[in-house]
Amino acid sequence: MPADQPAMRTAPNIEDPDAFHARWVAAHEGLTEQQSFELNARLVLLLANQVGSAQVLAACIDAAAKPWRHGELQAPPA
Amino acid sequence: MSTTTIQPDAPTPASADPAPGLDYAGPVAEKPFSGQGYQLPTWPFRVPPEIADGSRHGRHPVVVVGAGLAGLTAACELALRGIPAIVLDEDDTVGVRGASSRGICYAQKSLEVFRRLGIFDRVAAKGVRWSVGRTLAGNDVVYSFDLSNTASPEGSRQPPFINLQQFYVEWFLAERAMELGHVDLRWKSRVVGVTQDDDSVTLQVDTPAGRYAVQADWVIDATGIHSPIRNAFGLQTHAAAGVDRWCISDVRFRSRPPIERWTWVEAPFNENRAVWQHLMADDVWRLDYQMEPDADPEHVSRAEVVAERLRRQFGDGVEYELVWVGPYAYRSHLLDTFRHDRVLFIGDCAHVMSPFGARGGNSGIQDADNLVWKLALVLEGRASPALLDSYHDERREGAIQNITITNRTARFLSPRSPAERMIRNAIVSLAREFPFAQPLVNTGRLSSANTYSGSCLVLGRGAGRSIQNVAIDAPAGDLAGLLEGGGLRTMLFAADAAAARTLAACLSAGDAGRVSVTAWLLADDAQAPDAGAAANADADAALPVVRSPALARQLGLAAGEVAIVRPDLYHAGCLPATDAAARLARALDAGSGAAPHEQASTTTSAARRAVHAR
Repeated sequence: MPADQPAMRTAPNIEDPDAFHARWVAAHEGLTEQQSFELNARLVLLLANQVGSAQVLAACIDAAAKPWRHGELQAPPA
Repeated sequence: MSTTTIQPDAPTPASADPAPGLDYAGPVAEKPFSGQGYQLPTWPFRVPPEIADGSRHGRHPVVVVGAGLAGLTAACELALRGIPAIVLDEDDTVGVRGASSRGICYAQKSLEVFRRLGIFDRVAAKGVRWSVGRTLAGNDVVYSFDLSNTASPEGSRQPPFINLQQFYVEWFLAERAMELGHVDLRWKSRVVGVTQDDDSVTLQVDTPAGRYAVQADWVIDATGIHSPIRNAFGLQTHAAAGVDRWCISDVRFRSRPPIERWTWVEAPFNENRAVWQHLMADDVWRLDYQMEPDADPEHVSRAEVVAERLRRQFGDGVEYELVWVGPYAYRSHLLDTFRHDRVLFIGDCAHVMSPFGARGGNSGIQDADNLVWKLALVLEGRASPALLDSYHDERREGAIQNITITNRTARFLSPRSPAERMIRNAIVSLAREFPFAQPLVNTGRLSSANTYSGSCLVLGRGAGRSIQNVAIDAPAGDLAGLLEGGGLRTMLFAADAAAARTLAACLSAGDAGRVSVTAWLLADDAQAPDAGAAANADADAALPVVRSPALARQLGLAAGEVAIVRPDLYHAGCLPATDAAARLARALDAGSGAAPHEQASTTTSAARRAVHAR
């Protein structure tokens, strides 16, 4: 990664983590599992737009998918 | 299983080690299944003078009902101030018979209170200091912390945490209250009725020698979760029972497990439910297992079931002695008003929360510490009874903070839906790899001193924060010693010589009114250009000088200001030197600034009718 590109942030950066978690799970109250999946997908898209950087989003997707990729790290098709 | 005989001041062998701890304090089931427990001290019932000679014995300034952590802390605070008080307790010992091991973790603010009450050395000698904690999922540590890294030499003279069985603390407090005098501890004395009128409270007390009445100016209710006094007045609590079931096993091992404080979010040996493992005094470990929500409490506390859990956790060859077993389900409740005219509610009768973070016992101690200095001023005629509304304002705000925080932990540990479990799985798995997710793993946020934002004692910048018991360069040694040497009065600290001269003039002019204070020039030597200049400043000072860079940092004084430090070592604010004494006097005099409960007090007269507890 070029030095001037932003890197995926892995140090703690969430303000008041417990309040964030409380608000997140409260948003799921009363939803079906399918609705919860959809809520989380909408949330990912909204947060992705806050991030913006393609580099960072790609790194986040790779990190999130890692448990199911058995260690093989491959670049997404160009 | 054998009875554990307790030597209260025998040092705990492991206490020298930086040991793991526990963030547990809370109510447990009243009927433990097994374990011989401990031998607790007992004190004799003495026939009270009201029964012995049949006469009425006039009014008592204060009666405390309930000799638990909160009630006994209040008793010692009253005794330190020389206030004659009666303490009534239905039992003749400490702890709850059988269920003798409840809260075990005492946080810094409580330890600072113990320092002022004179039992800190006993607590420290008997208890287990700890600083390292680890949170695990499966076999992986996903989060760990070391509180010794955050304990600065400029911070409190007391450590972040000490673990000790609750009954030991109660035992030390009871003996201290007796030693201090002024307080009459009456055992085997059960309150069965309460009435209140405009100027007194009358309690009906059942004893082995019969029933008698005792009349008091003020009653402190510290009777716990099932308070008969609160119920007799029909006061509302907002209750929520937890669905989560847990089972404690207090165990002494033949060969100790590694000394670490471990909490599992998902323990493989407990069907991926949560487990706590932490050390107390006498080499006893508390193991606390999350059960199936529909688990049968009788079943999970059977000796053979406990044995199977221990075998799964520690292996086939584990040798141990069961000290105590108790299943429980937690709950939370909050009382609407912590002051009902002349009755003040402290501890579990006012607020109950789930045990995570050790916020129950520690908040009861803070309640007593917050209340008694105010009550003493009212009894001395130096403050208006309206000042007591600030007890409600501050400690109810603290209780709401504690309940909110513990509810979040409870919810993290017991996801309510597949979606919540999915979120938790994501957090735990990311926390293994990335530091950012670790603060989201919530196995309890440890008790800290509450911050107050909305009472009549929020007088200036920085108000509402607890001030740590820092070192003071004076014979007193620390802030608590300075308070003690000054007769437990509110302390005023001037930022510089000019502020000191102004403050001294204000005090001479009577700006403090009925309030009695001690006043100091606070020298921060780190900022003095040289020792000679500091000495010259001392010579000019209108007030005695104390030196403490640590205190100066905590108070955050600016030039020309005076900081007000309350007798419970809370900051009441930094104010211009010209205003400080007068503002303090007005706040204590009238409870001015925030008196929403004064109105409530006058409109609840219907509730003052004679009522009787069951």
